[in-house]
Amino acid sequence: MHDRSRSNEEALKLSAAAAGYDERLVFSDLDLSVARGRVTALCGPNGCGKSTVLKAMRAMLPLREGGVFLDGKPLSGWAPKALAREIAMLSQSPSAPDEMTVADLVNLGRYAHRRGLARKGTADREAVAAALAATDLPDLAHRPIGTLSGGQMQRVWIAMVIAQAAPVILLDEPTNHLDIAHALDTLSLVRRLSHEEGKTVVVVLHDLNLAARFADDIVFLKEGRVAAAGPVARIFHAQSIAEVFGIHCRVLLDEETGRPFCIPLAARGG
Amino acid sequence: MTAVAAMEIPRAPAHGRAGRLAALLLFLGAAAVTGVALGSSSMPLDRLLPALVGQGAETDRLIVWGLRAPRVLLSALAGMALALAGLLLQRATRNPLAAPAVLGISDGAALGAVGFLFLFSDAANALTVGIYWQPVAASCGAAVFAVLVAVLARGAGGGPVGLVLHGFALGALAKAGVTLLMIAGPVYRASQASIWLAGSVHEARWSDVAVLASLMALVLPVLLVLTAHMDQLLLDDHSAEASGLPVRRTQALLMALAVVLTASAVSFVGAIGFVGLVAPHAARLLVGARALPAIAASALVGAAMVVMADILVRLAFAPLEVPTGAATALIGAPYFLFILFRTGRAHA
Repeated sequence: MHDRSRSNEEALKLSAAAAGYDERLVFSDLDLSVARGRVTALCGPNGCGKSTVLKAMRAMLPLREGGVFLDGKPLSGWAPKALAREIAMLSQSPSAPDEMTVADLVNLGRYAHRRGLARKGTADREAVAAALAATDLPDLAHRPIGTLSGGQMQRVWIAMVIAQAAPVILLDEPTNHLDIAHALDTLSLVRRLSHEEGKTVVVVLHDLNLAARFADDIVFLKEGRVAAAGPVARIFHAQSIAEVFGIHCRVLLDEETGRPFCIPLAARGG
Repeated sequence: MTAVAAMEIPRAPAHGRAGRLAALLLFLGAAAVTGVALGSSSMPLDRLLPALVGQGAETDRLIVWGLRAPRVLLSALAGMALALAGLLLQRATRNPLAAPAVLGISDGAALGAVGFLFLFSDAANALTVGIYWQPVAASCGAAVFAVLVAVLARGAGGGPVGLVLHGFALGALAKAGVTLLMIAGPVYRASQASIWLAGSVHEARWSDVAVLASLMALVLPVLLVLTAHMDQLLLDDHSAEASGLPVRRTQALLMALAVVLTASAVSFVGAIGFVGLVAPHAARLLVGARALPAIAASALVGAAMVVMADILVRLAFAPLEVPTGAATALIGAPYFLFILFRTGRAHA
């Protein structure tokens, strides 16, 4: 088990990292750390490297320089299953055959916990049942996923990630294609996972107000660099947003939630 | 947690998956018995049954055990091998159009086998090396063409249909190679060309059955070990990787097994087409996408397809020996066009 008492320590860290695709370098000399047991939102304009950073954190993209560290240990040369037991990840557009049932799909999240020929065990069944319960899906367990709505489907993917039982969870735009009600639902669930079960969550979000509402920390990325990073209250202000997104905006505080929110006014120079 | 742990998800209704597999097995059994009973001289049950258990007339025993039983068994084994190869290819490439014949792997195997016969036969048409090298040569041919199609399709892109186009082009090349070797070789060998180009089981021998059965006995356990990995490949690349599956390595392994299965079948019965394409689709309709039932159902459907195709060509065109592959193509080709149309539309 991981020691949850050491909260606010670094769970995941990129150090002097450089990565990219083919000719294109997306980021270089990037230092970024993620606090244990908290929800960290990665925000930034299109093409700033959010998804690439997430992939690098999961060691899915080879680094050209620098390193990724999980609990201080370098994340290279790990066996695929061992790595999956530590870090779960949901990509932007996951897919599976339509006729597959919800329970069968969630069960695929248990792959990293099976050894060799071992069949589905009690621990697997319990983990799948718990993941379905956490995402409010038990009634749909045996429905083919092709029959689900977009919001339900997103919950199924998150259930699969929960079933993987990794202490670190990376989510790439989990609220994409969701209406506001389902987006709120999904992010409340993400927040519960972190605050009740101590998961370290990194989530790429486009909507700044959702990030400010649900994240503990925000990392603002711009052109492959960290423009600002820290607790929401400290870095979510008009000036940092102007700098990162190139817009004028007003940032106010919602008294009920104690969270800041931003009202975009105009693109700078527009 | 205890409340959740105690709460078991209600079990899925099995949807008679086991029942359907049993029905398939029965169907295959019936087809096999029919295949032994029917032929240029069909045999009623009261002669067939004694002959099967070693009683009855000498000629009946000879027909049943010497000619028809190996032919039916070889058909069934080859059908299984091709169907499983198709299943593995469809899983590895996530392409519903993938199959050994479609990707040119069958023709590559045929080229390997014919090239082997060409190189290692002496003037009296006797092999100068052991016959068991033939599947090895076929595997080499199949592997070369599998790698070529994979490399070309990856370089050019083009999605599922692009892969198929590259496969067809390479398959045509291999077919041309087979034809050339046949014509360049001794005249009597040209008559065998139909076996290699379209596939036929009419020269089945017990030794063929034994070698193919041994190869299947080697490959099947490996497949069973791989079921969990195959299930994981139902996810997209990214999700599969994130769940802990080494995706590229698994795909390469499945492709390699498909090559061996294809080559094993092709070295004994030639390039019988469309079994590897149709059988996994039929299996999926019957038992779903999970790997273990899909493996069982694909193997049974594939076996039944070739056994029945053989019965068809024996009866419909007797006394001519029409290649078995012609009959499987008759069913398979229209189905292939149907999936091609659907896939093309989905990716348009």
